[in-house]
Amino acid sequence: MSDEMDEIWALYADDGAQALDAMEIALDALGAGPAAATDPEVAAFFRAVHTFKGNSRVLGLAVVESRAHYAEDLIGLVRDQGVPWDAEIRDILLMAADTLRVMLEETAATRADVDPAASEPLMHRLKDKIARCTGAAPETAVAEVAVAAPEPVAAVAPQPEPEPAPRKAKARKAAEASPVVAEVAPTPAAPAPVAARVPEPAPQPAKKATGTPRLADDPTYRAIFQGMARDCLSKLRQATGSFAADPDAARSLARREADGLSHAARQMGLDDWEAVLAVYLADADGGIEAIAQLVLHLEDLTDAEAGTSRGAVVSDGDGDVSFFDALREPLDRIARYGTDFACGETPDPDAVAEAVEAVKAVSEPQGFVRVVEAADQLLEAGSAISFRNAELHLYEELGAVEAIMPDAARAAGLSPRGLVQVWCAEHVFDTLGALEYNLNRLRDPETEDRDEEFLAFDRLMRLVRHACAHYEIETAGQLALTLVDLFSRTHISGKAPDAILNHIARGFIDTIELVFDALHQGETPDTASLDKLFEEAANVAFVKDGLVTASAIERRLGLPKEFHRVLSPESVRTAGDALDQGLEFYVLRTDINTDEHLAERFIDWLSSGQAKSITNVTVFEGQNTLFDFLIATALDEPSLSEVLARLDPSLRKLVLLRHLKPTREAVSIADDATGRDADAAAGLPTQPGVTAEMLESLGEIAASQSMVSHILTELADTDLVDSIDSILRTANGDMRRVRTQVRALLGDFTTRLQEVSQLESQLVGQLAQLQEETVEIRSRSIDSVLRPLETFVQTYSRRNRREARFSHTGGEITLDITILDHLRKLLRALVMLRLEQGEAAPSRIHITFQRDEERVLAVFEDDGGAPEVTTALQDIQAGLQKMGGEIRRVALPGKGMRFHISIPLAMVVLEGMVVGVEGVRYVMPVDAIRMILQPENDVRIRISAAEGREMLRIAENELVTVASLGGAPQGAARAEGRRRGVYVVLGTQGRSVAVPVDELIGQQLVLLRPLRGVLSRIENMTGIALLAGGDVGMVVSANMLCAANGSGNGMPSLRI
Amino acid sequence: MPYNVMIVDDAAMMRLYIASFIKTLPDFKVVAQAANGQEALDKLSATPNVDLILLDIEMPVMDGLEFLRHAKLKTRAKICMLSSVAVSGSPHAAKARELGADGVVAKPSGTVSHDLEEKTGDELARTMRTLVAA
Repeated sequence: MSDEMDEIWALYADDGAQALDAMEIALDALGAGPAAATDPEVAAFFRAVHTFKGNSRVLGLAVVESRAHYAEDLIGLVRDQGVPWDAEIRDILLMAADTLRVMLEETAATRADVDPAASEPLMHRLKDKIARCTGAAPETAVAEVAVAAPEPVAAVAPQPEPEPAPRKAKARKAAEASPVVAEVAPTPAAPAPVAARVPEPAPQPAKKATGTPRLADDPTYRAIFQGMARDCLSKLRQATGSFAADPDAARSLARREADGLSHAARQMGLDDWEAVLAVYLADADGGIEAIAQLVLHLEDLTDAEAGTSRGAVVSDGDGDVSFFDALREPLDRIARYGTDFACGETPDPDAVAEAVEAVKAVSEPQGFVRVVEAADQLLEAGSAISFRNAELHLYEELGAVEAIMPDAARAAGLSPRGLVQVWCAEHVFDTLGALEYNLNRLRDPETEDRDEEFLAFDRLMRLVRHACAHYEIETAGQLALTLVDLFSRTHISGKAPDAILNHIARGFIDTIELVFDALHQGETPDTASLDKLFEEAANVAFVKDGLVTASAIERRLGLPKEFHRVLSPESVRTAGDALDQGLEFYVLRTDINTDEHLAERFIDWLSSGQAKSITNVTVFEGQNTLFDFLIATALDEPSLSEVLARLDPSLRKLVLLRHLKPTREAVSIADDATGRDADAAAGLPTQPGVTAEMLESLGEIAASQSMVSHILTELADTDLVDSIDSILRTANGDMRRVRTQVRALLGDFTTRLQEVSQLESQLVGQLAQLQEETVEIRSRSIDSVLRPLETFVQTYSRRNRREARFSHTGGEITLDITILDHLRKLLRALVMLRLEQGEAAPSRIHITFQRDEERVLAVFEDDGGAPEVTTALQDIQAGLQKMGGEIRRVALPGKGMRFHISIPLAMVVLEGMVVGVEGVRYVMPVDAIRMILQPENDVRIRISAAEGREMLRIAENELVTVASLGGAPQGAARAEGRRRGVYVVLGTQGRSVAVPVDELIGQQLVLLRPLRGVLSRIENMTGIALLAGGDVGMVVSANMLCAANGSGNGMPSLRI
Repeated sequence: MPYNVMIVDDAAMMRLYIASFIKTLPDFKVVAQAANGQEALDKLSATPNVDLILLDIEMPVMDGLEFLRHAKLKTRAKICMLSSVAVSGSPHAAKARELGADGVVAKPSGTVSHDLEEKTGDELARTMRTLVAA
């Protein structure tokens, strides 16, 4: 109950604020006058203050209601009685709006009525003005205040009422007994503004017999209630549909909805509704039959309500309101026919046609051709599905109308857009399933009618987008629309979606499924990967063209914000070329829109080759449309100014606005942060475009390589011998005479060689950077798999009538995405296997992860029963074996199972120390390096008890085996000739070895590839890795090396 | 019979470039031009037989997206956004799709793209033909 009241007060505060906003907007628009009674702003103010008054009445705020009531009466005089709008009325109503806002804030905070004294001046002015407008004496109006404030219902007609007057007294008595009658039959003594504007009340299906006025008599409240009833029916139908799968959830949903509607019916005074709902609510165990029965009863009441509201449709001169009001009834009928269809009853075509005609009759005069077309599609629907699709389409089109008339739709209590969103949210898993199938069809080269598939993709993705809007997941909705855009362009290009698009679409479907799953469970979804996909989608045009992203150019040039997010791939290409050429960048402001000749001269100059036009943006300056051009040119600032002056002698229409200084280093630090801030401010993802960075690195490498190639070609073409011979010939072989010339020649040659060497070093660095970027882009933490898995465990266990808790350790370990994908599928399959055990299903699952250089180890432990060997388990085992992994089952004492899973790291990201041994490059896992030593000779010891094995003293009390990576055993042969060799001491699982190396090359991230075929027989090696600089390195297995050198003597390391 | 096209763009030069490009397409004919969304709505009422609207986004008085929101209710004409801010994957392109744009083509080099025909001519012509044929 407390929650319910909280909700009602929150609604009161929210609705009240909206109503007050609407009042202020209307008053602003009306100004000091003149205004006509038919002005939409007058109607808007009236509606808003009427709503405000009603809300106050519902909560028993008599003082607030009375103030709103008099304000309503005053605007009612303008609207209905021909009272001219003037500055005084505007001032009074502004005062009323201000006072009501203060009251709203106070009452929302205290949940109690306000002290009437503070608003007496307002009441005085309102009554005084009303009295003057209606010809009554102001003083009597003032005298009325004390009566009106505490009893607003009785004061519906605030005209003066001299006391005592027997006839009036009789009228008042009548009003108290039956206010509805009083409103439609005012006393003839004075104009009755309220009475005159109230429409003839429609007959009610069940009217309270008491004299208390009902909210149900108010058309606005009726419309709101009808909307609530429709929503409730929709939820109840959903509950019947999902009852078989989850009876508890369905029952809970139905009770919640019925309870909410019952409360509203009580407030409205709708006894018949309340009675029907009470029957259901009294049955605490109400099953599907009870819910279905309730649906039928509520549908009957909805029909009856629709029948009454037909007569209540008011043509009040406000076309917007009439449109939605008039639509409500035929839409209700159409919804009923859809339900009939879904239940296997084909609706009467004549009845459908009648409803469609009713929709068209309302829409055609408004010129809403697409609504008319959508309505016509209902006539062609021959099945429940096609009818549902046509219905959905109609609501989408009506949603477009709602978008331009939101107030009218709200006033009518109808939100087609909201209904579409609810429907889409309820069916989102079906939609995602269809979308996945559709995507597979688009990817399949054998798909014949690809056009059809593209159109289906568009349609399905838009439905997903509506669902996203329902849950207000903005990024997901944006991404869905971006995919609509990208696929549509691909469709028009006549091509199939490429790998990048497929990757983004697939990623979106997978992620959004988990997001909706979490939302349906009432949990907070993880949407981080959506941000990443969004970033990829935003950059797809640039990546496809092999370009850096627009934002990279924006940062590099330090572009002003008006140029942000407007660079096309073509602009980026032009800017990139200009940067390569070292051109100057300028922003020119041009006022050429109305000067055709100047525009032509300017464009001709831009096209002449003297400058490159990168892009231009519109700048609105008052009524003028100006354009800011971003150009690149070899001209310096004075020369450019001279050119502009020649083109525009007035010096006013072509102005050099800014000289940009692209400084790359400064950009990478400072501007990057700025760019991120800007992105964050725009609500866009802030993660860096890794792909773009890789492309930049590739571009730099290509440039360096091209330079190396150029110099090498030059050097190769230089015949040094011939050149020296030639010089010598000129001096008749006298070397002394031409020594300087020869030295210069050789010096040049050496310089060029040094340049090559420097470039080669630069290339190595760039390759290392690229490699790191590659590694980074493929690395994710196991958490990225575990977070969705946690949701999956909860969802799946509930689906199986269980509650399972999930926990894990080691989620921070990073793995390559290929392994993560295997892991995801494997764990999901195992979870399903365990949770499908019925009574023996676990209630607790914990997974621990560890990783070494060769494999990832997962220990999956739960408290469930021992599983039988099922096909599913065999599939898991077979899948793992195929990957070279394994799974072992261990039954825990008492109850519970433990699964030891080992997956080889097919492509592991490794932080490695690159070393050289006998000309071969090796990579040692940094994690396994205990120390690097360059010891004196006397710390090496031969231990005769250990087959003469050489050992190295690495600490005062610790010896470790020396193990060679080269051909010579233990590296002894080479160690002999080396005075002070370098040793890398590797340690793992309590064992250590010292490995002699010739050189330490450096540390870098590498992608490790396992050894296959004959290479897999190489001892002590995990795999190979491509190193920066193009070398291939053997990756040392610290595990194997330590184990192998420990097995021979049992003492790989010796603590003394 | 060529398809009737309306050009809506606030840049006079751009309207010229687009019109000049359309002249090279025998299956299309420019029947109306407007410099902003409001003017376009007015002209649309007076020229009901428009088959295709090429619509810029950033315009004074009423921008292209607002025009789209209104025009989509009342015309059967196909609407193709032709704007420098409608690059693939951009928020403007997504917004245009949301509001019902039938096609979206990015101007190649800014609001005033004198290289429209050279750089984007094929894509624009293909899009226009696909839309009117749909």
